[in-house]
Amino acid sequence: MDEKRVLNPDSADKWEVQLRKGSLELAILAALWGGRLYGLEILRHLEGGSDLVVSEGTVYPLLTRLRTLGLVESEWVESDSGHPRKYYSLTAAGRERALEMGRTWARFAASLNHLLTPLNGAVKKEKP
Amino acid sequence: MTLPDDSQKAIDDYLAALRRQLRDLMEEDMNDIVEEIRAHILDKSTAGADGAQVEQTLAALGAPRDLAARYCTEEMMRRAEAHRSGTQKARIAGRWTVRILAGLVVVIVSAVGYFVGGVLVTAGVVKVMWPRGTGLWQTMNSDGTVMSYGLSGGSGNTPPSNTAHDILGWWLLPIGFILGPAIIYGTFWLGRWTVRMVWPARKKFNYAAAEPQTDI
Repeated sequence: MDEKRVLNPDSADKWEVQLRKGSLELAILAALWGGRLYGLEILRHLEGGSDLVVSEGTVYPLLTRLRTLGLVESEWVESDSGHPRKYYSLTAAGRERALEMGRTWARFAASLNHLLTPLNGAVKKEKP
Repeated sequence: MTLPDDSQKAIDDYLAALRRQLRDLMEEDMNDIVEEIRAHILDKSTAGADGAQVEQTLAALGAPRDLAARYCTEEMMRRAEAHRSGTQKARIAGRWTVRILAGLVVVIVSAVGYFVGGVLVTAGVVKVMWPRGTGLWQTMNSDGTVMSYGLSGGSGNTPPSNTAHDILGWWLLPIGFILGPAIIYGTFWLGRWTVRMVWPARKKFNYAAAEPQTDI
């Protein structure tokens, strides 16, 4: 019997969320490339420069995880706002990892873009 | 900047709940996390300076339990195990003792509850089938004192002895069909509640395996 498989409408969204999630670590490392930032600055940087739709409850635990992995280091700095802020900066291992991930990403994006060539005409037509 | 009292209380409650959920981590890590989240809430609150802004910030962070679960990664738990102090070890041992004792109590109470409930339901069914031979029998001595009580059914639809008197009669039906299932239902929910209270579901958060909807 020829059974038609119907794509779950949710799976397209899940794929997109997984894609965003997978790139968040690289985006955070890249955000810190230019110097130290505290949590909210990182969040604003990500929100301002992309359509990553980052949740606050995800970024802070991820920063802690990157710290335990030795990719970033943190320090508490007194601020004018009346409370100290925790600033993050890349360690040498973090810079190396960011470069490595950046290269992988560029290679991956280039090869996928190449594979997407047949869709180009259709995707462009859909754009307003 | 000073926040309204109820906003300050909401922040304190949130951070206290977060701290409780992070209790298995190293104390230093726990303090660091709680202070960072406090700084984040205060930083965001300076923009609006009202209760709504605080409420919105807390909602964006998610429930303390979910936020804490994201911090409890394998690396953090391993770190905590390696640096556990004597007091923390004692506290964890104490928590396990309470869990084991509660588990035993749940097993015993459940066994009794299901047994009593089951007996009552069975008694109700048997009462329908053999009404004259089933009941809560009170057997009297010849001098008029009570010799014994017993719940029995069947026996050819006749009372167990001439001196036996059924003190429940048809009341056995509502007792069997209402009280019996109620006891079984109550036992189930009591067991479930106790297990959930004492054995909270806590698992190490795994970024790679996390369900997308619950993560970002």
